[in-house]
Amino acid sequence: MRKTADIVIIGGGISGVTIGYFLLKHGAKNVVLLERDYLTAGATGRCGAGIRQQWGAPLNCRMSQFSCEFFENAQDELDYAHGIEFHQGGYLMLATTENELEQTRKNVALQNSLGIASKMLSPEETKEIVPLLDTKKILAAAYHHKDGHLNPFHTTQAFANAFKRLGGEIYINTNVTGITTTQGKISGVDTEHGHIATTIVVNAAGGYSQAVAALAGVDLPLHSERHNILVTEPVEPMLSAMLMSFSLNFYCQQVPHGSFIMGRTCPDQPNDLRITADSSFLEAMAKTITDVLPSLKNLRILRQWAGLYNMSPDKHPIYDQIPQLPGFYLAAGFSGHGFMMAPATGLSMAELILGLEPTLPWKQLGFNRFQSGELLLESSVV
Amino acid sequence: MLEKTGVPTETQIDSAFPNETRLNEGPVAVIECFQPIPCNPCAMACPRQAILPFADINDVPVMDNDKCNGCGLCVMKCPGLAIIVVDINWSETKALIKLPYEFRPLPQKGQILHALDREGHPIANAEVINVIVPANKTPVISIAVDKDLIKKVRNICIPEDNDSIVCRCSDITVADIQSFIAQGYTSVDELKRITRLGMGACQGRTCIPLVMRELSTALKKPISELTSGTHRPIVKSMKLGDVAAYGGKS
Amino acid sequence: MINIDLLVVGAGPAGLSAAIKAGNAGASVLVLERSHQLGGQLVKQTHMFFGSEKQYATHRGFEISDILLAELDKMENVTIQPHATVLAAYDDGIWTAEIEGQYQKIKPSAVVVATGASEKSLLFPGNDLPGIYGAGAVQTLMNQYGVKPANRVVMLGAGNIGLIVSYQLMQAGVEVIAVVEGSPTIGGYLVHASKLRRMGVPIFTSHTIKNAKGANTNGLESVTLWKLDENWQGISGSEFTYHVDALCIAVGLSPLSELLWQIGCKMTFSAPMGGYIPYRDKYMRTSQKGIYIAGDVGGVEEASSAMVSGQLAGISAAEYLGFEMPNMAAMKQDCLNQLASLRQGPKGAHIRAGIRQAEVSFE
Repeated sequence: MRKTADIVIIGGGISGVTIGYFLLKHGAKNVVLLERDYLTAGATGRCGAGIRQQWGAPLNCRMSQFSCEFFENAQDELDYAHGIEFHQGGYLMLATTENELEQTRKNVALQNSLGIASKMLSPEETKEIVPLLDTKKILAAAYHHKDGHLNPFHTTQAFANAFKRLGGEIYINTNVTGITTTQGKISGVDTEHGHIATTIVVNAAGGYSQAVAALAGVDLPLHSERHNILVTEPVEPMLSAMLMSFSLNFYCQQVPHGSFIMGRTCPDQPNDLRITADSSFLEAMAKTITDVLPSLKNLRILRQWAGLYNMSPDKHPIYDQIPQLPGFYLAAGFSGHGFMMAPATGLSMAELILGLEPTLPWKQLGFNRFQSGELLLESSVV
Repeated sequence: MLEKTGVPTETQIDSAFPNETRLNEGPVAVIECFQPIPCNPCAMACPRQAILPFADINDVPVMDNDKCNGCGLCVMKCPGLAIIVVDINWSETKALIKLPYEFRPLPQKGQILHALDREGHPIANAEVINVIVPANKTPVISIAVDKDLIKKVRNICIPEDNDSIVCRCSDITVADIQSFIAQGYTSVDELKRITRLGMGACQGRTCIPLVMRELSTALKKPISELTSGTHRPIVKSMKLGDVAAYGGKS
Repeated sequence: MINIDLLVVGAGPAGLSAAIKAGNAGASVLVLERSHQLGGQLVKQTHMFFGSEKQYATHRGFEISDILLAELDKMENVTIQPHATVLAAYDDGIWTAEIEGQYQKIKPSAVVVATGASEKSLLFPGNDLPGIYGAGAVQTLMNQYGVKPANRVVMLGAGNIGLIVSYQLMQAGVEVIAVVEGSPTIGGYLVHASKLRRMGVPIFTSHTIKNAKGANTNGLESVTLWKLDENWQGISGSEFTYHVDALCIAVGLSPLSELLWQIGCKMTFSAPMGGYIPYRDKYMRTSQKGIYIAGDVGGVEEASSAMVSGQLAGISAAEYLGFEMPNMAAMKQDCLNQLASLRQGPKGAHIRAGIRQAEVSFE
């Protein structure tokens, strides 16, 4: 294991590998990525990997537009033989209450003003896109055809391979046990396999960001929340769009392999980083989904699991340097959207760390928003 | 004998090899060209004149073994594929042989191949140490073999992909698994995520033990030091509708 | 939600024995069995059992199942539910099951996991052809459903299962062409092997399958076998081929431990016991309080020891639940003595090694 590095990234999920890739792409050298288990072991390997540009705040629209375009061209840019399985079947955001309908209309207007070609659909038009849908509870839906989902494992591997081709080094099965400082600045990282001297550490540990920050005595305004998900047996393609609804509390997609993946937010989840399965999730999810897509009642559930959402006070990520500890950077608090934001995360963090001009409005995502009380508002989060 | 079978005799092979002292001094070319034919690229290829200049184009090549450094340039230029390079002291236990090879696909560095004798019989497994692909000339494959086989091994053959099924739910073969292991995946959980192995209706009951054996062999680690991957609910698949019916319809 | 003192997962010899003991002690017991038929592997066993009188030696397996079920029939506090697959064990103490097609939740105060073991598979080209069976599947077809599974069979594996099923195949009128065993020696009881040899069936030790061939429409048509060298590598030139319509794989069993993993039991890998097995104390408790194991899920052994370990787990679980029986300590000691005696011979060496590895104290 190497003894020194210019930059050490902690976390081998999608955020860590994209940050590493963009750092090297923008001229950084000697970048090392450390992962406690294996790539995608955390939330990345447990998520639905949906990508949408339908947001209620301009900032998120901009970030996700960039990310979506990146994913569209990722095959060429990352040169990954297997492919990342980016399926652009669109996102259907179902509205079932008057308030939700009103908000959805506003969101679509905002998105259109920013060049995102989303549109409102009537229940009948919605059914044309998803014939399986029972529209009795649905007032309308917003749809954007360029949204979709991709394969989180292959996407992460594609970034990791590109990062390594550019000279980056990845150490898996390498737990970070300490973060060392000298005169109030970062001086290195202790791992179970040895010490790496560095002046820059990037905390991209997702649900475990607080624990990583605590190694340096830093307390983050974040908490991690368990979210549950299930997968069914694979069947013939029958759902091209990603379905989601805030009022009905679910998202559902059919991945290219044929399986359906679906999740919802459950009450009373543990907040102790536990990711065991929830005993009440299956029936809640099954009731919700068979109500909306009744013909799925004969589809068989294969497995359930859980992962961590890393929640910030305003459900927006934090891209910043820890004010009291120069050299210690944070990309966390994605509140369930880390995967779809990953290319924006990678670029923004690279620009932040290397002192480059911002391509994206990441300056709004610093810590000072919590002091100044200028929290970012977003209506479109689960 | 060679005239009847196409296989040189032991006497002929011995005559092509340098003596033991020279073999021990470092890599050296061995030329198995026993018949005068009009051909001289080997002598032209050697930058050190270790293959003595021909008086006549029909000469059989003669080596000055002291001049040869085993570079292998002659190997890639001989149209008859008659030359190999042997380095008997490549490692403690293994000798290195550089062989000409003109078939596709080419072997990969690190791949384990069958080493063949002069009659095409597989006689050992050999690891590919290097693959050199010169433009328009014969690729040269370096393989490591047991030292006592240097006069026997003369060719290689890429083993057929093992298409034995590991995972019946997702039709994943041993060759698939071996290729992912070669790409650096070292645990059942990683293989599951990248291949869907063990994530079908059988929940890994059939395939996980088989994959653990493959991992154990490839990583040279006992199974007890590997992890079996995560075991997730539910043990047997269940219809969404039947689960939704729990406690009455919503 | 079903509230119950003791949930027993599996109605094989181990689960039924556990239910008898816990039921005797007064616990309310629910036994869930995946199959429509109770008795687990016992119902397929048409041969007379080994062991001693206490483990019903000289009775045939299906008769033992009847004896155990008759005893349970008398107990009003024990419910045995066939067609019931336990699906999951959660860390809030809830277990879920599919019971006759319905999703159910159970909150037991203690659990005996007696899920048994599943058959191991083998890698060789053609291993997914129709006509290639696990030995257990062949036994189910013949002895449970009365279906003749094939006409000409090669058996892979000369452990007790391979030998016994070969013999039963012959009893059912199937031609057993050969028994093939990778090890240099026969693994099962030699009396079973001799029975086969007297019927003219060859047993090839240090041999294995090289490949299976056939068309997907016809299924298996032939198997090619070859000899193994001392490093278990096939020897080129030693191949020979049989035309068969079935290949039966009996290369060992692997404990069915998913539920134990799900509930967080500490596990260890033991090759002689068939795979991952839970750490347990000598009274069959796992690292999780209130979770007990019985039978092959704790390591693959014979049905006789499965019954005894089931009794022990049943008594221990009842004791944990606060039920009392006269002589509880003596009953547990009797089980320990029986297990020690069943495992003490040369054929029990690998089991003793596995137990040594997995047996701990949780005090």
